[in-house]
Amino acid sequence: MKSMRTWIGLAAAALTAASCGTAKKLADTDTRQWRYEIEAAGVGAQGSYLVKVWSYSKDAGVAIEQAKKNAVHGVIFKGFTSNVRGVPSQKPLVSAPAMEAERKDFFEPFFADGGGYQKFVNLSSNGAIAPGDRIKIGKEYKIGVVVSVNAAALRKELEKAGIAKKLGSI
Amino acid sequence: MNGVTKTKILLAAALTLCASEAAYSQAKKPTIMVVPSDVWCNKNGYTTTYDNQGAKALQPNYKAALQDNTDLLLVISKINELMQERGFPLKNLESSLKSLDNQAAEDAMLMSKSGAAAAESPIDKLKQVAKADIWMQVTWSINQTGPKKSITFNLQGLDAYTDKQVAGASGTGQPSFSSELPVLLEEATLSHIDNFNAQLQSHFDDMAANGREVALRIRVWDSFDGDLESEYNGEELRSIIEDWVADNTVNKQFSTADATENIMLLEQVRIPLYNEKNRALDTRAWASGLQKMLRDKYQIEAKVMMKGLGQAQLVIGEK
Repeated sequence: MKSMRTWIGLAAAALTAASCGTAKKLADTDTRQWRYEIEAAGVGAQGSYLVKVWSYSKDAGVAIEQAKKNAVHGVIFKGFTSNVRGVPSQKPLVSAPAMEAERKDFFEPFFADGGGYQKFVNLSSNGAIAPGDRIKIGKEYKIGVVVSVNAAALRKELEKAGIAKKLGSI
Repeated sequence: MNGVTKTKILLAAALTLCASEAAYSQAKKPTIMVVPSDVWCNKNGYTTTYDNQGAKALQPNYKAALQDNTDLLLVISKINELMQERGFPLKNLESSLKSLDNQAAEDAMLMSKSGAAAAESPIDKLKQVAKADIWMQVTWSINQTGPKKSITFNLQGLDAYTDKQVAGASGTGQPSFSSELPVLLEEATLSHIDNFNAQLQSHFDDMAANGREVALRIRVWDSFDGDLESEYNGEELRSIIEDWVADNTVNKQFSTADATENIMLLEQVRIPLYNEKNRALDTRAWASGLQKMLRDKYQIEAKVMMKGLGQAQLVIGEK
């Protein structure tokens, strides 16, 4: 009976891990397909943008974690608009969206789990989600997370990799 | 000397050549300086009034503003810091004004062993002002609604020669009960600087693709025997000049904004960033080509005067 319980426990853990893994993979696909929304949330500290990213996932935890990736992806390729007074919209750091496919060698490891993107993003308010920012749509969640992206350092990294043109160069 | 050594020497020579080419091929970057706008100076009382041939004229007094207004100093230093970080080093207004003062004091005392003073024409004197190729003109005003304060901030990048606005960012910040003015100003600068820089970089990119946009003014000395309508080999002098300009601009881009028998103003002249030797080119060097052509082909002397990277004046008749 005891071994039976152990087996059931192990199977449940494996199932949970598998579903989490699937949700993670789906979230990564969403990022690549630009399935997220990004908007200004306030004035960031010097060199950084404070943005709110809306991510989708069946697993709320995955959506929160994916928000960091989406925020960096958004600042690089999408830019963001603003409804916050005094905070202007920003253009993307890279103006050619095709660059993501052209420079797969850089972006695939950069956006992989634990990849370079992590250096440039921080969750604001320890990732606390405001009550109105957790919305259930059908079977999945749409979750709005406020994050801070160090755009100045990110731009330097992209310049170093030859992806963004160096500012001030003719 | 064996073959391997020869190859090494050849490789080293090739690398040196490449390095020197690369050093030459750095385009001349426009200099940028932050200044308070005329409106801001006027509103805050930092102007001097002078009599301009009978009409009262106001001139911004940057020195007084910098010595008196700490908010201005904060905004300028913040913009300088952020622009430097992002790859656009700026000239500092306060330091430029101090250098001019020091230079003027030194010039007044300058004397040779025989007692001769340094030559200075009225034009030389007039040109001794703070110079930049792009002015970053900053304006802000404080809005007060009850106890709430907000800042309206406006940053304009103006090309000193074409008078065009090449970049800009403006907006009104969030109203605040408690934030002090310097905090609001810092916030406004931080939020607008990136958009400003993106536009400035687009201007630089356009320059790289289509050449530097400059202006050329042609005049004649009254001692010149003839004018711009005088004919040489059956062609008017101004047509000769226009043909040369067309042949020496990127995609023959220029427009003749003004043309009389004595004056010609050529605007939106797109000069290449490098000459045929792949060296960086500015308007003076470019206009010297026209001066040379007039002298070599038509025996007409001319004087080239420059104003920064983007404006030149050619006065025909003598030097």
